[in-house]
Amino acid sequence: MTKKFSIRDYTLFFAIVGIWAFFAVMNPSYLGSRNLSMLTIEISTTAVAALGVLLIIVCGHIDLAIGSGIGLFGGIAAVLTTQYGLPAPVAMTIALLAAVAIWTAMGTLIVKERVPAFIVTLGGLLIFKGLFWNVIDTSTVPIVQGGKENLYSILTTQYLSPTASYVLTAFVVVALGYASMRARASRKLHNFQLEDVEVAFYKFFITAICLFIATTVLIEYRGIPLSAIILGVIAVGIYVLTQHLKFGRYLYAIGGNEEAAHISGVPVAKVTIGAFAIAGLLVGVTGLLQTSYAGSSTSSVGDLMELDAIAACVIGGVSLKGGKGTVMGVLAGSLIMASLLNGMTLMSVDPATKFIARGVVLTLAVWMDVRMNKS
Amino acid sequence: MKQDVVLHAENITKTFPGVKALSEVSFDLVKGEVHALCGENGAGKSTLIKTLSGIWTHGSYEGSFYVDGEEAKFQGINDAEAAGIAVIYQELALVNDMTVAENIYLGHEPTKGGLIDWNKMYMDASELLRRFNIAIDPTLRVGDIGVGKQQLVEIVKALRKESHILILDEPTAALTEHEVDILIDMLRELKTRGIACIYISHKLDEVFTISDRITVLRDGKTIQTMDTAKTTQTQVIKCMVGREIDNLFPRRQGTLGESLLEVSDLSVKGPEDSIDLEGISFSVRRGEVLGLGGLMGAGRTEVLMHIMGAYGTRLSGTVALHGAPYSGKDPKAAIDAGMVLVSEDRKRFGLVIEQSNNFNFSLSSIDSVCKFLGLVDVNKEFRRNEVITKQLRVKAHSLEVVTGTLSGGNQQKVVLGKALLSEPEIIFLDEPTRGIDVGAKLEVYELINRLTDEGKAVIIVSSELPELMGMSDRIIMLSEGRLGGEFTKDQFNQEALISAAIGQ
Repeated sequence: MTKKFSIRDYTLFFAIVGIWAFFAVMNPSYLGSRNLSMLTIEISTTAVAALGVLLIIVCGHIDLAIGSGIGLFGGIAAVLTTQYGLPAPVAMTIALLAAVAIWTAMGTLIVKERVPAFIVTLGGLLIFKGLFWNVIDTSTVPIVQGGKENLYSILTTQYLSPTASYVLTAFVVVALGYASMRARASRKLHNFQLEDVEVAFYKFFITAICLFIATTVLIEYRGIPLSAIILGVIAVGIYVLTQHLKFGRYLYAIGGNEEAAHISGVPVAKVTIGAFAIAGLLVGVTGLLQTSYAGSSTSSVGDLMELDAIAACVIGGVSLKGGKGTVMGVLAGSLIMASLLNGMTLMSVDPATKFIARGVVLTLAVWMDVRMNKS
Repeated sequence: MKQDVVLHAENITKTFPGVKALSEVSFDLVKGEVHALCGENGAGKSTLIKTLSGIWTHGSYEGSFYVDGEEAKFQGINDAEAAGIAVIYQELALVNDMTVAENIYLGHEPTKGGLIDWNKMYMDASELLRRFNIAIDPTLRVGDIGVGKQQLVEIVKALRKESHILILDEPTAALTEHEVDILIDMLRELKTRGIACIYISHKLDEVFTISDRITVLRDGKTIQTMDTAKTTQTQVIKCMVGREIDNLFPRRQGTLGESLLEVSDLSVKGPEDSIDLEGISFSVRRGEVLGLGGLMGAGRTEVLMHIMGAYGTRLSGTVALHGAPYSGKDPKAAIDAGMVLVSEDRKRFGLVIEQSNNFNFSLSSIDSVCKFLGLVDVNKEFRRNEVITKQLRVKAHSLEVVTGTLSGGNQQKVVLGKALLSEPEIIFLDEPTRGIDVGAKLEVYELINRLTDEGKAVIIVSSELPELMGMSDRIIMLSEGRLGGEFTKDQFNQEALISAAIGQ
């Protein structure tokens, strides 16, 4: 049995093309190499945060504290580096450990004491925001001292050389092709629904071409940004975690039906707390990326990023009821959110309109999804 | 009699992509009769009901049907209701937090000057209940009155609309024997008022108690319509499955081995508003089927859930496995120790309904198909789960099929498969045949035989005494959280079991 090509499966793809076309018409430099480089870095931060919240939403909870966490952990690393003179790698490690510890604590409170995640993370949003402003003393803390680059600053200023960029892209394309062929063989063996060979090939072909074009454009500026590689590694990690590890199975089981999962022997508490711990790590990483991109830690870093992350998940098809959602969906959702924000910034849209646009897109996306699922 | 036909269906054919769900089905319903509709899952009962009640709109099926002599061309449920047809589904559509009267008038509240006229609502409701001889206080919260009475409220709610054709889909699936009696009394009352009922049930005892005629469907076709008085259960079952079934409960006793599970003097405090257990002791041996009986609310499910580590706190008593004390605290520990529970509520405690069969099969046993670091060996997993699909004869195109789209019997098989894949020694089966058809029931019974042949121990909970007596080697009855009595095979007798259940 093969699956027919359906436009429905490619809604997100067409949405992205539409958004890009719109902004390119409004301002041709949108698709210029410099802006696409910026956009790549912005996608990286949004997507890393969204992948963290994916884990939390899939197991049936919600995380509103991401934005404040991003500010706080970026701030901790900045203060430790420039005010306490710690080497950047040490400062960053401390910030990440703090992130994991705090998110693990929130997860524990939610699972063991049964305080709803909405409340715990809403409290977290306020508390971490306050802590953050205390840590940076409501001022601007640079991430480098005396203009010298460090590991913290190169997160968003380092690029791969042209050759390395092409080699990396070629490697990714080959790996994708190999993985999809293996998956296809396995599906065929077990009588699963198969995608039409032609559709599968064209999909692979178009993906490959897009990747090479993107690489070429990025090289025109400085090359593939380091942050994109960080995102790639994390995305592959979360993909393996959710699709190929026991942990992932349990995550979807808990989100889909917690009582059935419990009776079936799933260690609900351990897995949920684990999901929060990993999400915490990703919030920490996003904090470092975002602060590095801003160049310094200021009190507005991370503002409302929890909503962008949640919106990216929802647009990407993650069910807020839990039990459903994929890494690919979240990446597409992040691409849409980041493309929109970047485009509006480029057009110097005023902040008020930006808020409204973000809200409209989120509501529209969910509404369309509900409508399409009905018919 | 012809002029009294209230509903007449002629050659109804309903086709879904790839399946003919109904094929030239003809059926008629006479004023004041209870007409039972029997057939296995997938025989076309639900499709027929959905056609008659307007869910499948006019034009989406071939053939026609007439209500009170006029051709029905329903464009939706509202048209069917207007024509006097009311359907009561297995899953009740009541709001637990509202009162009985509020539920009866939900969506049709009497108003005065734009505000709800509460007095009129409660007066009308008590009048309506009195008319049907139902002793329920309309001011009570529906959540507080018990499933049996809720069913009656649902019927009253349907009849409020002056319906004269009532369709009941598995109305007794969740009722105790006593509640079933009350329902049957009510149906008799309705008959005298000339209301015609279509009654769907897997429980043939009830069908024979209440119905006047029986129509059997199989594979979307009408096989036969019989006068209840002139037929037998064996005859009906033969029509349903299309072959002779000589033994409804094919229990094959095996050789008993050593004691596997021993529960002594167990007392458990349940969560608030739930059942406490007191002084419960029993044991089960290798190769044995222990029946666990009692009325609903006697604590049958709770005992099993407590042993699994998912119910209440223990006040006293011990559980021993293989002769050694067992002190596991959660279901994971119980499953690791070789126990497994197949819950009576498969949607709530059994399945992740939106996931695939493969996912659900592996839920309790993913460890045995993992390589290093919890990495799932997908091919090994698929191969293993394909074997269990074949063994249990789960009807599904592939392992990828979403479990929620399967029929009840097939879903139950997936839950059983999930349990068996954890390689248990002791299997708790809580109402394993609820809501599944005769053919699937027999397969469950055969499975029980196979398990005990392999030297495993089975504890089966069942509300249906014939099943309990037919499949158990020994029975213990619970009554209000206590032990009501223990019976060996030669002591099985319906009256004795019932008196033990009501604590006499």
